Amino acid sequence: MKTVLVIGGGVTGLKASYELAEMGYNVSLVEKEDYLGGQVAKHKYYKLAPDMRLAGEVIDPVIKSVENNSNIKVYKHSTITSLSGDAPEFKVKIKNSKGESEETFGAIVVATGFEHFDPTVKQEYGYSRFKDVVTNAEIEEMLNPNGPTKGELKRPSDGKIPKKVAIFQCVGSRDKQVGNPYCCRVGCVVSTKQAIEIKEKYPDTEVYVYYMDMRMFGRGWEELYGKAMEEYEVIFTRGRGAEVTLKNQQLSLRAEETIMDRPIQHSVDMIILAAGQAPGEGTIEAAKILGLKQNDYGYLAPKDDFLSPNESSRKGIFIAGADKGPLDIENCIVEGAAVAAKVASSLK
Amino acid sequence: MAENTDKMVIDGVELVGIWKEFMPSRILYEDVTTEFLNEVKKLPGGETIAKCYQCGTCTGGCTLPEFVNKFNPRGFINLVRRGHYDLLVSDYKELVWKCVSCNRCTHRCPKGVNTQEVVRAIAKFLEDRKVFGKLTNDEAFDEVFMDEVINEGRIDEVKIVKDFYAKTGRLKEMMSGDQLSLGFKMFTSGRIKLFGGKIKDWKKVSQRLKEELQ
Repeated sequence: MKTVLVIGGGVTGLKASYELAEMGYNVSLVEKEDYLGGQVAKHKYYKLAPDMRLAGEVIDPVIKSVENNSNIKVYKHSTITSLSGDAPEFKVKIKNSKGESEETFGAIVVATGFEHFDPTVKQEYGYSRFKDVVTNAEIEEMLNPNGPTKGELKRPSDGKIPKKVAIFQCVGSRDKQVGNPYCCRVGCVVSTKQAIEIKEKYPDTEVYVYYMDMRMFGRGWEELYGKAMEEYEVIFTRGRGAEVTLKNQQLSLRAEETIMDRPIQHSVDMIILAAGQAPGEGTIEAAKILGLKQNDYGYLAPKDDFLSPNESSRKGIFIAGADKGPLDIENCIVEGAAVAAKVASSLK
Repeated sequence: MAENTDKMVIDGVELVGIWKEFMPSRILYEDVTTEFLNEVKKLPGGETIAKCYQCGTCTGGCTLPEFVNKFNPRGFINLVRRGHYDLLVSDYKELVWKCVSCNRCTHRCPKGVNTQEVVRAIAKFLEDRKVFGKLTNDEAFDEVFMDEVINEGRIDEVKIVKDFYAKTGRLKEMMSGDQLSLGFKMFTSGRIKLFGGKIKDWKKVSQRLKEELQ
């Protein structure tokens, strides 16, 4: 069977589909939303760290290459509802507004990705209680000229440009209280990037980052961190944000300046929560329908983390990208290509 | 989205605010600001302060802590950068001056901070803010000495001694018998001269020096 089903039209799914189609396989790409591009498109990511490249520059060519490829059939606004059969003949039901159809595939690639952590449960940060406490995904939309504020950073409460902005790191990551003890792997660099973007646009606005560790392990990330400190005067304070309250009708955050052993209270105009990654609903649903093993946090578990990172617990079903654990865009593209190679060798 | 509120009521139960009503909070520091950072950055030698990422290499290898326990270049930088001005003044203002300029910190800094110069700049920043109050004898002598060099280009011992005692408000003490007889002995043995002599056209040099030191 030279047909492959790819579930998920995000960065990883798109790259996997394209590479498989180029190798001569017939690919069906199933995406639950009516657009391609996954979280990048959903939250209108503006620029990518560390090069400050426009996200569109990266994602648009990938989407175009998939849409223009005659070997790829794209099912938008569609989901899979059931799976029967085994490798190499999977029978999958695909459901959309036109109805349900059953198709046969030689292999399945699951690239259902992640969703941004919803910080409402961290009630001490006041997300959804205070209008001016926003998530980093909302800031991406705001900074994007095609977003709701046309690229202007405006306080949701009164539309004014904030003079003091605080960014809280590790919201919903490295936190056993919410069941996510893992690192989200992108929060540090995304916050640093957003701080630079804010300072570039509004040099008079002060930006404070409250962090536990700045984990700058990626290509060019550490350099970006240095740049934020030296050229843009972003103030990084070691100490996790503890709580947000109202003081004289202004947001007031509390944290410890751990380097100085000193608890502080800091009045700011706007607080950005660097919300981490959580396994998406799509990932959890796909695991249920396809019968795949998940790890403690709901992500899909590879057959062997070192030796077969792209094979799932079930033969003929492959996994890739941010549904295996938090991942950045650059590595999602690598994963997409890697899983395509693995599928091709298994269908030979 | 809900209105800005400090309370969160779910099913009739207040979840956030109530405990605050009977539990007093700690006294917290509130004046977090970048004002001081910008000020130090503008001073000569303070330009590299923003580069610091607080690793502690400077303090770890510093010559001084062996003798001056609380001397901490990393700490000084952090206090300025985060705006903990009160702590800098109350705990560290006397210490900042003790740097011996061995420059180990500067040579070892992984981030390219000119630590020794930054510490000097912080000391200057404190001096400009006049946090030191009354001058100590050392400081008063330094000032008198420098003024004399700049104004006359040459040391006039008698004038320096007189100015020093005047500056520290002890002119009477100078006129005491002990001091006078010591002065007389030094004069007769040729240790001090009554008049320092003048340098030709020093006024111009002095003018230029003052401009440069402004």
